[in-house]
Amino acid sequence: MSPPILAVTGLEKFFGGVHVTCNVDFAMQEGEQSAIIGPNGAGKSTFMNLLTGYHRPDAGRIVFAGRDITGLPPHRVVRRGISRAFQVSSIFGRMTVSENVRAAVQAQMRATFRLFASARTLGAGETERMLALCGLEAKRDVVAGELAQGDKKRLELAIALAGKPRLLLLDEPTAGMSIDEARSTMELVDRLNRELKLTVLFTEHDMGIVFNHARKLTLLHRGEIILQGTPAEVRADRTAQKVYLGEHHL
Amino acid sequence: MPTTANARGPGSRLYAGFGISGPVTPLLLAAALGVPWLPGEFWTHVGTEVLIFGLFAMSFNLLYGYMGQISFGHAAFFGVGAYATAMLFTALKGADGQIGVAQFLLSLLVGPPVAALAALVIGFFCVRLTGIYFAILSLAFGELLFYIVFSWYSFTKGDDGIQGLLPPPFFQDSTNFYFFTLAIVAAAAAVMWRITESPFGYALRTLRDNQRRAGFLGTNVRAHMLANFVIAGTFAGVAGALWGPFSRSVSPGLLGWGESGIAVFMTLIGGAGSFVGPMLGSVIYTMLQAVVKMYTVYWPLTIGTIILLIVLFAPGGILGTIDKRIQAMRARKP
Amino acid sequence: MPEISLAALAAQLFTGLVLGMIFVLLAIGLSLIFGVMNILNFAHATLWLVSGYVTFSIFTFLSQQFGASPWLLVPAIAGAVALMSAFGYALERLLIRHTYDRELPEQLLLTFALVLILGDAIKLIWGLENRRINLGVRPVEMLDTLVNPYQFVIIGTGFAVAAGLWYFLHRTRFGKIVRAAVYSRSMVSALGIRIPMIYAMVFALGVGLAALAGGVFLPLLPMALGVDLDIIVQCFAVVVIGGFGSMLGTFVASIIVGIVYSFSILFWPDGALAMIFLIVIAVLIVRPWGLFGTELRS
Repeated sequence: MSPPILAVTGLEKFFGGVHVTCNVDFAMQEGEQSAIIGPNGAGKSTFMNLLTGYHRPDAGRIVFAGRDITGLPPHRVVRRGISRAFQVSSIFGRMTVSENVRAAVQAQMRATFRLFASARTLGAGETERMLALCGLEAKRDVVAGELAQGDKKRLELAIALAGKPRLLLLDEPTAGMSIDEARSTMELVDRLNRELKLTVLFTEHDMGIVFNHARKLTLLHRGEIILQGTPAEVRADRTAQKVYLGEHHL
Repeated sequence: MPTTANARGPGSRLYAGFGISGPVTPLLLAAALGVPWLPGEFWTHVGTEVLIFGLFAMSFNLLYGYMGQISFGHAAFFGVGAYATAMLFTALKGADGQIGVAQFLLSLLVGPPVAALAALVIGFFCVRLTGIYFAILSLAFGELLFYIVFSWYSFTKGDDGIQGLLPPPFFQDSTNFYFFTLAIVAAAAAVMWRITESPFGYALRTLRDNQRRAGFLGTNVRAHMLANFVIAGTFAGVAGALWGPFSRSVSPGLLGWGESGIAVFMTLIGGAGSFVGPMLGSVIYTMLQAVVKMYTVYWPLTIGTIILLIVLFAPGGILGTIDKRIQAMRARKP
Repeated sequence: MPEISLAALAAQLFTGLVLGMIFVLLAIGLSLIFGVMNILNFAHATLWLVSGYVTFSIFTFLSQQFGASPWLLVPAIAGAVALMSAFGYALERLLIRHTYDRELPEQLLLTFALVLILGDAIKLIWGLENRRINLGVRPVEMLDTLVNPYQFVIIGTGFAVAAGLWYFLHRTRFGKIVRAAVYSRSMVSALGIRIPMIYAMVFALGVGLAALAGGVFLPLLPMALGVDLDIIVQCFAVVVIGGFGSMLGTFVASIIVGIVYSFSILFWPDGALAMIFLIVIAVLIVRPWGLFGTELRS
């Protein structure tokens, strides 16, 4: 078997005295689509923050595509091919939708130091492609801050995709979406995973989404990995049920 | 680029293509060309001051309106540019106090690069911070530079300032100097416009709107902030270089935070959200100051009240408020 | 470098302590307002200056009624503090509170506008001349040098204010509410306490402290137009060095700045202020949240 595209070993993080990530070992193969689940406060977002360099781990290593990226700042991690969509949409509120995506495209093209090129034409084709892919063409001139919640999440995804990542991290990608929106978004993710061999890791609270779109689950609780396996395995496991008792009905 | 549903006339098309700066810029340009036709030298003189400070304010807005950081030390680069020009000017002028055209132009050319160098050094430290820390660090550096210029008598003539910056005879005519300034400021503005509409300019906007996310696009935040800081400082240096020969002298006060404050006021009055807002702000501020000071000594009270009212009721400045109205009217049309 | 005797050193240290206390009295109100409300009050030194003029007027009035006496300074200061606190309360309710949901630059500009307006108001009401009170206190000889005993009043007042504020914040109910509001506005709000009222009172208190400083300095420094502009920048320096939002930091930083100031006068008289700015720059580069501040809160 080929080496994993992502290999995390012994990851630790403390915030003050709180142990938010406890000795996490985690790996993903290229082309895999997996989910991390766990109750609130389990450390899912923190884990993604650590993977993308937003926090520096206190111990452990993160190796991506054969290179050690532990402790690199976010913009370097992104350049190596990891892209991230946030739980609470983190977009550029005063720019239009197309300007948002365009900025991401131009950043991916490493064109952001071009002082005399035209922003309107550079990467325009790619921007259009992204907008179409995520169903945002109709909204291209809307100021991003005025979008509805679901559209903000789609913009969030478009921006992450514009980075042409090899690993895509999605933090609760369907939060705030209607059932139809959620379905189409996840279908898009499936398609990207299939057609582009895009490795996808997402966190979710909606168990329906998780079971329909993830091939492997990792259950996180209080910063520790409790369980890993296929959805069916995790569903049957007693520990998982206990962790979720009162929160979800598996 | 989309056009408005009921586009009528060149104004609407300019607005659709360039935002509120589109229709306003030709108006300003027309007004600028018309100034020397007004009677006497007073308005030409004021007009030159408007242009120089307008350029200064526009350079400030690169940091504020486009990148989201407020600098209270921006005048340091204005002053450094002014002093560099003044010192070379003094070195190149003849014993009779006259200077040749070539030497005059050379002295102007030295201002912006020296300002750029100062901006590089100071910016290196400032861009590690944001928000209020950035504001205060820029203020501290500005004040430090002020004190260096103030105290280093042997080099800068300290509090006496550098006097006797008399341009060549052709430029002593206020109309000639005015058009010369207009040409330089217009060219500088054109370059700045190009930069703000480039991928770099939009990368700056991402830093303004969501600095964290910008990092997650792969943008090296600090490098971009530093580059912009240097660019802004350079253009401030251009304005400063023009100031010395215009007012015939330079003094340490040009570097202080009060001077930086003027750029902030102008930008606020005209509107930080548009390219040409700060220039409009300069028109209003400078003309208002010239007129008010003719009748009363209470200029601070006047401008203070205006700032207060703008902050409370029209924080987008004049152009920002107009733009909001236009957007609101369009939204109401089906 | 001139020969420095131990006595001269002690004298500089003492001067530094007095200067430090001056900064304490000036900056502690600024620090309090920023710590609780996240507003950097540009007009703090201007309000201090106005208070000085107000104290002078009250003192002059009382002297005319009751005959000249240095002790009249006490009721004069008390009156000024009361008046200015009320003025501060009004300022907060009418103007400042509109800026809470705004960006930092707009908050700064609002308080800066107040600097301009109040500065001219002083000109309008009191004219252009300086105001100063001569208490007729004779210098006393101590350790081979002449010392102005009023300096002890300054030191005493500084310590009293610092101690009083500490007591207020840590031992009184209202003070504890104020501190809680710093950490969590929503929590305090949820407990049924009205945040707007707290902010108004804190702002009034901050202005009151500035007023106290204004009155106390009247015998020492002439109140002159434009002094506020020099002073406010130095107050910022102190608050930055000590750490935004930390009263202890402001206290310690004030003493440090005062001592640095007084010793700079020995070696580099013109550069004392430049020294302070160098320290500010160093602090912001190495440790932006200052000596005692909490790490970079936005």
